[in-house]
Amino acid sequence: MRGLSKRFGGIKAVEDVSFGIPEKGIISMIGPNGAGKSTFINVVSGVYTPDAGEVHLEGEDVAGLPAHAMASKGLGRTFQLEELFISLTVLENVLVGCHTGSSSGILPCGFSFPSARNEERRLRDESMKCLREVGLEERAYNTISQLPLGERKLVGIARALAMKPKLLMLDEPAGGLAAHEVERLIQLIYALREQGLTLFIVEHNMPFVMSLSERIVVLDEGKKIAEGTPEQVRSNEQVIKAYLGEEVA
Amino acid sequence: MSLFSQIVQYAISGITSGSIYAIIGICWSVVYLITKVLNFTTGEFVMLGGMLAWGLHAAGLGMFLAFLVAVAATICIGVLLERTTIRPVRFPSEMTYMMITIAAASVIKGIILLVWGSETRTIEPFFGNKVINILGATLTSQALCVLVLVAVVTVGLSLFLSRTIFGKALRASAINETGARLMGIDISRFRLFCFALAGGLGAITGIVITPITFTGYNTGMLTGLKGLVAAIVGGWTIPGTVAAALVLGLLEGFAAGFISAGLKDVLALLVMIIFLISMERWAYRRG
Amino acid sequence: MKAISKTPIVWLFLIAAIIVIPLVSGSYVIGVMCFVAVLGALGVGMGVLMEQAGIFSLAHPTWFGLGAYVSGILAVQGETPPWLGSIIGAVFVAILSVLIGAPLLRLRGYYLACATFGLLLVVEISLAQLGSLTGGHEGLMGIPPLSMFGFTFETDLHYYYLAWGLCLACLWFLHNLMGSRVGRAVKAFSDSEVAAGSMGINVPAFKLKVFVLTAVMASLAGSLYTFYLRFTQPGIFGFPLLVELMTMLIIGGGRTLYGPLLGSFVVLWLREFIHMYLGKLLPRMTAEVDAIFFGILIIVILIFMPGGLAGWVDRLLGFNRRVIGKAAD
Repeated sequence: MRGLSKRFGGIKAVEDVSFGIPEKGIISMIGPNGAGKSTFINVVSGVYTPDAGEVHLEGEDVAGLPAHAMASKGLGRTFQLEELFISLTVLENVLVGCHTGSSSGILPCGFSFPSARNEERRLRDESMKCLREVGLEERAYNTISQLPLGERKLVGIARALAMKPKLLMLDEPAGGLAAHEVERLIQLIYALREQGLTLFIVEHNMPFVMSLSERIVVLDEGKKIAEGTPEQVRSNEQVIKAYLGEEVA
Repeated sequence: MSLFSQIVQYAISGITSGSIYAIIGICWSVVYLITKVLNFTTGEFVMLGGMLAWGLHAAGLGMFLAFLVAVAATICIGVLLERTTIRPVRFPSEMTYMMITIAAASVIKGIILLVWGSETRTIEPFFGNKVINILGATLTSQALCVLVLVAVVTVGLSLFLSRTIFGKALRASAINETGARLMGIDISRFRLFCFALAGGLGAITGIVITPITFTGYNTGMLTGLKGLVAAIVGGWTIPGTVAAALVLGLLEGFAAGFISAGLKDVLALLVMIIFLISMERWAYRRG
Repeated sequence: MKAISKTPIVWLFLIAAIIVIPLVSGSYVIGVMCFVAVLGALGVGMGVLMEQAGIFSLAHPTWFGLGAYVSGILAVQGETPPWLGSIIGAVFVAILSVLIGAPLLRLRGYYLACATFGLLLVVEISLAQLGSLTGGHEGLMGIPPLSMFGFTFETDLHYYYLAWGLCLACLWFLHNLMGSRVGRAVKAFSDSEVAAGSMGINVPAFKLKVFVLTAVMASLAGSLYTFYLRFTQPGIFGFPLLVELMTMLIIGGGRTLYGPLLGSFVVLWLREFIHMYLGKLLPRMTAEVDAIFFGILIIVILIFMPGGLAGWVDRLLGFNRRVIGKAAD
């Protein structure tokens, strides 16, 4: 079983959270605002350093590695606030995702060696494929500022896909989206799962999460309070209390 | 001079320089805290005080009147700077302001060079050449003036900021600009005040130190930069800046005395660089 | 909606101009255009560093100066052929920029600018103080001309072609680079370090690479400069040069690669006009006096035309402003 298990202790935002992600599945993490979900993704992807704990990716302990190293190990992610590269076009944003899959250095690129040019052509083809995957190939040459929110989120996903990740982490992908955009997103996620991608989704939107996920982990105030299938989680008392803040008879 | 007296002498000159850097550092802080602008003309304000005072006196004005006009003129220049170059900026960013003030500083320097040439100038010490002997070293009356000035400025400004309504409003805007605006405070008038204050304080300092360090079109930049070093190391607070400035001055004094006078400027700059790097490392480890 | 690619047009225009100018002008114009090329090369590198990579290093003139001094000193001592001196200068600058850049580049915005400004002054003062080696305040005199493979560069025209060769080579290299994977990575981390890191870009390493690359380019420009002038002084590489460079960058705007070259052209010819027409009126004409006009120009442009002159020209001619980032199709 290829997967991740994470144990973290000590960071004030996230405390001693442990669970595993099986290969080729869709696992979601939910929790009320401020529960530490985004922090969690940031720690795993290397943006923050954990104070304690382990992260195993395919059997290797990768906790504490910086973000760019995690990227080359096969971890792709999107950001809650998109964090797109605004001075680049849509296609160029996705091309950045290809960074780990390419290797031309300063000299080959500067002197325009054939090897660099060939690699560039290959990267363009792959990036266009990713854009097609999310349905944005017509937007390839637009600037980011010309895109509505829904499409910007899709660019973020395309960019992460370009990394050919083994595990794709989506940070609040449905945030701020209209209903038809959420539909499109759900279809996309199913399609990605069909291709064999392992997905980890942090999200707020309950119907979205409930319909998609195979397993759900619930976080509240930095601690894991439940884990299970959507049905199990839905009827879990602690979860209900965390979201509603009161006892439900 | 015995070694001990030498040490005292270097210490005295160090504390004198340190006091100068302290006031200049405060000029930087006052503008930076309220407006987030790193005003690179701070050093030029100091230079202007000295040069204008000399120039007006040489043109026939009485000493005291020359001082007054010099300070007033520098304050006007500070105000002019704020109104014409800072306020109209359409897309404000830290870097834009910084480049503008650097550009303004070079304009001021160039004009002074055109008008009065490149020789260094000086003015008479206020109280003549009296000295006080301390432990075998000499403390000139002018240096004493500097120390008195620092004390007055430090205490006066602190009281102003903590006791008067205007001062408190200033501090509030420094902490939270939006909140201050919502309270009806006019930020741009505050900014004007800060520039004027930096101009006035800088000019006064420049006048007081001219008998000691002389003045010339070029003297503003380095001195100003050392004031910046003090402000940065001192965390932009008044007591911090003063402390950092005194330490810097002492280090400089001893380095100039025991190692080499020419390289003492390098010292202040190296201190700034090393401090900035260490501060970053320290923050990184905590984050 | 693709842009009209104006890159080939710009190149054509440049090359044509470079060839034509010496045919129709005397050595005065050739001399000025030579400086335009050298400072243009310097400015373009600084433009990439500051605008594309977002690294506000005010120490760029330092590398220019160090390249000049190292090649100058070695050439004066007579044992190293000048062209080798240039290379040694570049290596020296490369090493120094790595050592200094690694800790410095972690600083952000303001603090990096202050620290590099400090560095600029530190080197300028040190160069003046180490009199025995560097000739002190007065500078280094009697530097022999550049010679390579038996050919000695002596006339203005020789240096003109050499300078433009260097300038165009730098421009071409940077153009390829910024349109490639490396360039995208640079623009990416200047937009969002977090996202760039998560895409596998080792941001600190990249920053250092850009820093060193532009420093080496500056150093080569500096060597050329000093062999042309046949002397050098610490004062040339300090604050007034920084103000000139800033003016070039601001005139050029931040969006195009060649903007600083346009800026160099404007600044240098402006200086010539100022000297010609105002030189009689004003008592003295040094770099500091020039700085008055450049300073005013900087302020005016920053306030009214943040996109710089190049940006304004672009808009006037209706071109899409995005030249960089269009890969070779």
